[in-house]
Amino acid sequence: METLILQKDKLPKLIEKLSSSHVLYGPTEENGFSLFKQIKDFKELNLKYLLTRVSPKSLIFKQTETLFKFIPGRKGAVTSSKINEEKSIIFAIRPCDARSFKILDPVFNGDFEDPFYISKRKNTVLIGLTCNSPEKNCFCTSFDDSPGSTENVDILFTDLDDRFYVEVVTEKGKNLIKSIEDIFEKSTKNDEDSKRNIVTNSVESITRKMDLDSLALKLDKMFDHELWHNTAQKCIGCGICTYLCPTCHCFDMQDESTLKLGGRVRIWDSCMYEEYTHHASGHNPRPSRMNRVRNRVYHKFSYFPKNEDISACTGCGRCIDYCPVNIDIIDVIEKVGVIANE
Amino acid sequence: MVDQQLLIDEVKKVVSRDDVKYVIGYKKGTSGFAISPAFAYSTEYADKFIFNPLCKKNLAAYPLLEDKLPLKREEKEDKRKIGIVAKGCDTRALVQIIQEKGLKREDLVIIGIPCSGIIDHKKITAKFPNETAYSTIEEEQGFYKITINGKVHEIAKEELLADFCSSCIAPNPVIYDVLIGEEVEPWNLEEHKNLAVLEEKDVGERWEYWKEHFDRCIRCYACREACPLCYCKECMADLLNPQWIRRSVNLSENTAWNIMRAYHLAGRCVGCGECESVCPVNIPLMELNKEIEKDVKKMFEYSAGMDLEEKPLFGTFRPDDPEEFIM
Repeated sequence: METLILQKDKLPKLIEKLSSSHVLYGPTEENGFSLFKQIKDFKELNLKYLLTRVSPKSLIFKQTETLFKFIPGRKGAVTSSKINEEKSIIFAIRPCDARSFKILDPVFNGDFEDPFYISKRKNTVLIGLTCNSPEKNCFCTSFDDSPGSTENVDILFTDLDDRFYVEVVTEKGKNLIKSIEDIFEKSTKNDEDSKRNIVTNSVESITRKMDLDSLALKLDKMFDHELWHNTAQKCIGCGICTYLCPTCHCFDMQDESTLKLGGRVRIWDSCMYEEYTHHASGHNPRPSRMNRVRNRVYHKFSYFPKNEDISACTGCGRCIDYCPVNIDIIDVIEKVGVIANE
Repeated sequence: MVDQQLLIDEVKKVVSRDDVKYVIGYKKGTSGFAISPAFAYSTEYADKFIFNPLCKKNLAAYPLLEDKLPLKREEKEDKRKIGIVAKGCDTRALVQIIQEKGLKREDLVIIGIPCSGIIDHKKITAKFPNETAYSTIEEEQGFYKITINGKVHEIAKEELLADFCSSCIAPNPVIYDVLIGEEVEPWNLEEHKNLAVLEEKDVGERWEYWKEHFDRCIRCYACREACPLCYCKECMADLLNPQWIRRSVNLSENTAWNIMRAYHLAGRCVGCGECESVCPVNIPLMELNKEIEKDVKKMFEYSAGMDLEEKPLFGTFRPDDPEEFIM
């Protein structure tokens, strides 16, 4: 793997170069938190926050996607939506968020191939940023991930105070760096050690841990346990956990039209809503909050790992941080463990 | 300050009553400054109950959230009462819901808490972003004394107090069956911080302000789900035929949603701030609610949820009601 150094004072230059050749997304400050937005100027970039509030899945699996447009009525006609092929970069994506694409890939590029997702994924370069100071509800290490993991990014930056240590991981990353090589410097063994130290410290500072040991098997045996009712009783069904989650990927499709023009749109949906998968017949397969909360946990830690061999959770901690009623996924899984050992 | 033991004792008394199903209150959360709603079915569980200035959640939403699943053969509906720990604003929500016939007074046992304002979770988390636990939190003469890892932090009350608490007209419960401790002195009311600033601006500037906020909305509808007064069986936002609001997330639909939400709460919002505090993208929803509350007060001399005997604002008509807005 090629490793380089970028002096911090060269960062504006890097942003300028990347944003002139690509659509560049980076974390920007928004009313007390950060969100990924397109940036054209270094000044818009804000690396103060660890995670963006909404995960960067929204850049590849968009919250609203128009699948096709149509003219309603007798003279009806359908026009396919153009697949967006613009080259883009997600800058300063955290390793846990980058891992979410590994989880989303089999959903949108498995048995069914979703051209919208696939095209964006193919045309997007992920430039990661090591987490120097993980937060209180971070638990990526439970998934054998690391705050300095290069596994799911094309390039990884690590903040070494006055400079960035840059690891070029994939071909995609190499091709991007090739055109702007002149702003980087060679790295030394010393830089590599500095990164290792940072990551070791970060890993040590992560205090929360989820016990994933034979979790799917444990869950198999407790589908009817009262834990699900007890957990769901305080759930208000708000959907924050699913909308902020980097791996939740349920969607709904609706036709939105005027008399003259319409479109079929795909929008994020949430299994926390009562009308989620509500049948036209009136039957609701998950009529109570207990069913819905249980389904979310089972989907992440039982059904998904059984189908795709990976848990549908990255340990980013967003759902814990922003749940208004403190439904803490680590706590829930801990209770599952206690019940299984009884 | 609320005497914790007194609260626990009262909860135990209520939960051991034969005509009470369970009592809803607060317990300490799993990490940081989180507070968890708690449901006590037994006196032992009641020992976990707490009340401190972090207990923000308006629990009045819970009695309406109870799953009403079809009964099995020969199964009888459990008609016992629900006990609920409620601050001033929470009781206003209950009064409003009872006025609207969403709940019956006799189905509730209200354990009233005199409240001297609650802490904005967003503010305290910004102040101590990485604290995993606190041991105690107390209010003393205009300061919050927060003990974290044995160290006491004294922070001026106004620094952490939720903005909407400064314009609270009912710090004491407006209805209750038992009151924990003494009533608190109401305070000098201040308007919601940004309201006056916004009113000074012209329409164009105000639109720019809201445009920026609404553009960020992710339409998770957490504001609706958290609101104790948003309890329609079927929300207009979910209807498909006709579809009043499209699910596409863009400025136009987001604006429609946010304005519709605020207007459906005109004369009904009790100012508890749930919507604003749960909003994951920090939209200042209480500024909309407070503006409408102000208009309602001015035009109809009405404040929502203050009196059980009163009828809901839009369920009444007086010949002298202002009508300049009727075309």
